[in-house]
Amino acid sequence: MRSSSMFSYNLSLAMQSFKRAPTLYFLIMLTLSIGVGVLCANLALVNSMASDPIPEKSNKLIHISMNTWPGDQPPDEPMHILRYRDAMKIAESGIPKRSAVFYASGVYARDSESTSMKRFDSAVRATTPGFFELTNAPFAYGSAFEKSRGMEVVIGDELNQKIFAGVNSVGKTLELDGELLTIVGVLKPWILRPLFYHATEGRAFNLTDDIYAPLETAIDLGWSIHARSSSADNYAGVEETRDKNAYYLQAWVELDNVNQRSAMQSYLDSYSQELKDAGEHPLTTRNELHNVSEWLTAKKVVDQKVLAFTLASVLFLSVCIFNASSLLLSRFHAAKFEVGLRRAIGASNRHMLIQGLTESALLGLFTGLVALVLSWLFLKLSVQFLPRLANIAVLEPKLLVLGMLLALVTSIASALYPLYRANRYTISAELK
Amino acid sequence: MNIKALLKSLLLRKFTTGLLILQLAITLGLLINSAILALDTNEKLAQKTGLDAENTLIVSLQPTSGNYRDLDYFRSIVSQDLQELDKLPGVESVSLVNQLPINRRGMLGNVYDLDDPESVRKDKYLQDVKIFLTNEELAKTLAFALVEGRFLTKDDQLDFGSDKNGNILITESLKNALYGDTSALGQETNNGRVVGVVKDIMLDPTIPVDKQYGVFGNRVMEYVFTGRNYLLKVTVGQIDNVRNQVSDTILAVQAERDIYRIITMAEHMKRFYRHDKGLAELFLMLCGLMIFVTAISSYAYSQFHISRQKKYIGIRRALGARKKDILLYVLTENWLVYTLGCTLGLVMALGFNILLSQYISLSKPGMMLFLLASTIIFVAGTLATLIPAIKTSNIPPVIATRTV
Repeated sequence: MRSSSMFSYNLSLAMQSFKRAPTLYFLIMLTLSIGVGVLCANLALVNSMASDPIPEKSNKLIHISMNTWPGDQPPDEPMHILRYRDAMKIAESGIPKRSAVFYASGVYARDSESTSMKRFDSAVRATTPGFFELTNAPFAYGSAFEKSRGMEVVIGDELNQKIFAGVNSVGKTLELDGELLTIVGVLKPWILRPLFYHATEGRAFNLTDDIYAPLETAIDLGWSIHARSSSADNYAGVEETRDKNAYYLQAWVELDNVNQRSAMQSYLDSYSQELKDAGEHPLTTRNELHNVSEWLTAKKVVDQKVLAFTLASVLFLSVCIFNASSLLLSRFHAAKFEVGLRRAIGASNRHMLIQGLTESALLGLFTGLVALVLSWLFLKLSVQFLPRLANIAVLEPKLLVLGMLLALVTSIASALYPLYRANRYTISAELK
Repeated sequence: MNIKALLKSLLLRKFTTGLLILQLAITLGLLINSAILALDTNEKLAQKTGLDAENTLIVSLQPTSGNYRDLDYFRSIVSQDLQELDKLPGVESVSLVNQLPINRRGMLGNVYDLDDPESVRKDKYLQDVKIFLTNEELAKTLAFALVEGRFLTKDDQLDFGSDKNGNILITESLKNALYGDTSALGQETNNGRVVGVVKDIMLDPTIPVDKQYGVFGNRVMEYVFTGRNYLLKVTVGQIDNVRNQVSDTILAVQAERDIYRIITMAEHMKRFYRHDKGLAELFLMLCGLMIFVTAISSYAYSQFHISRQKKYIGIRRALGARKKDILLYVLTENWLVYTLGCTLGLVMALGFNILLSQYISLSKPGMMLFLLASTIIFVAGTLATLIPAIKTSNIPPVIATRTV
């Protein structure tokens, strides 16, 4: 009872103090909230970039890089892109629970029954059917295609909105580059941040694809490769690549445990060795398995420029704290007489401390609210300056909490020394 | 002016002075490094490209219909496009090319003289030479400067399914890498026979200027589906006119195309550095905020100082110090703090530079920049403390008689 009345008494004292020097407290709040806001906006970007896109099984999903380039000067060692026969070797190994082999392409799509000739630019994932279960792709209607060959596709929510206004379009036919393919599944809105299954070539923050097509069909139709490819042989179109040394496919597998991982590793290693023994490549055996977080770290998906800016914002926040601290010090100095008086009539050091802390916590609360608004603003501003980050500029709830906490902590931290000083003022000195 | 006395007076306020000095130092450190970032970016944007960037228009497009899978049809449409674009008033020349200059990666291949395949081992840049599939007009559109030999002609064009490599044009730096000072004319490379050498243009800004290796072959009609970019050389002053007519002209030939980019080469270059520029601007914005916050601090520092020193200043006034002396005294005191702040700031700038270079590439700080940034701090600080300083100098001597 007593403590609660003390609390409200402290609160009213704090409010009085704010009213007595509104400009000064406003300045303190402003500087602190700018500092917290800038840092919070940056942390929101870093958080989006560094987050785990598929936490339920990110340690089981493994990306495979291999070293099978036929010459002694491979573009990379090992390569994250594979040629057709190497990728198929992985898919048919029988070790992983699921596997996905795919490449990125693009086509223009329209509803074949529509009277409009408008075609929509659509990002394509040409993949084996294991992709959907491996990535936990969420289906709204229908289901995945079952084979790697067939005139069937699964489409994403955005394309479904654009072409079919969001209704169940399973069974409808799309015209894609002059070919007719039937829709067998429609996905729900699907956000992967980062897009772990294609984290290379600066695509880590692209949206999920618009069209998912069976791999063999896409190759047969000659749908061009829209991501990195390297080839030791000449070819005119994708349809010719199956038995060429053309590297463009990425492979992911889902492995349940460490045993499977080492089984996969030795399976790949012995395959590489066989190739080497047959004189197909001169390279050392170097097959690398990375789970999702290892892969995202290896590919440095966290933008280094944003990290650099985060560093600067931390420094900026510290300047803001210093500033608030010196402002508070001058405020307490000006209120010396009042403090001395309250001490003289019996307020203990502890009381004075609690009173001071209540005041700064209240100030921190206000700061936090302003900081949240500012961090939203700064996030928008950052995207203006760095448009590449548009897809990841989101303030998640946990960042709002973090922003609030930061505001409280900085506000209290900046009050600590001034409070300590204020507690040494004595009434006798003031009354002299 | 007695510096010793000033220092003593500062020591009386160790904490606030320390805080302010630290703030000034951090501000200076950030200011210098932000300026470096901005200057670096400007320098990159001002690089010589060897191109008439303002008067070259890039039009990128892609067919959207399945009919274009018939390459003869594709080719006939492209030929018509080129003819129609060429007729537009203000267009001096039009060419077709598979990739743009001023770009990272793209279509790359290794290039070596057939007599010396080992050369790619000695120079890693020879492994990733830009391979341009284009037509005979490119030299005119990009205003290539001939070093030796001749430009490509219509006769160099290869047809579908040709297994020959044909004749090629190479950049001067590639010629130097392959043949040194001797002539490259007539030499056979794995990409074709060299018929001409042209002065370098900026192909990939992320690699050294003397490694701008490029090969140009008259092959885009053979691989017409790679010809996504029309380049238009436009008469000075006509760029906006031409830009407005391009879409209609192309779509009038055949409508089933997605024209996804119509920009000048200069805009293309700006886009290439957009992220760098954005970062520099973000840093400059942060600097602005930081100077603002530091100015508030300087102001508060002086204000606080007056409230504590009122008495002593009154005594000084009573003892004969003029207003001017007091003003100078207060300002000198602040300047001393700024000097200390800037000195520490130099260390901070170096430290921050090293820290930042873990994440991004930036130049080392120079003395000129340090002096400039210090000047900004001094000016901003002096402006912020001017009002409190004047107030201080207005303290009447009579204060001395009170509360002693």
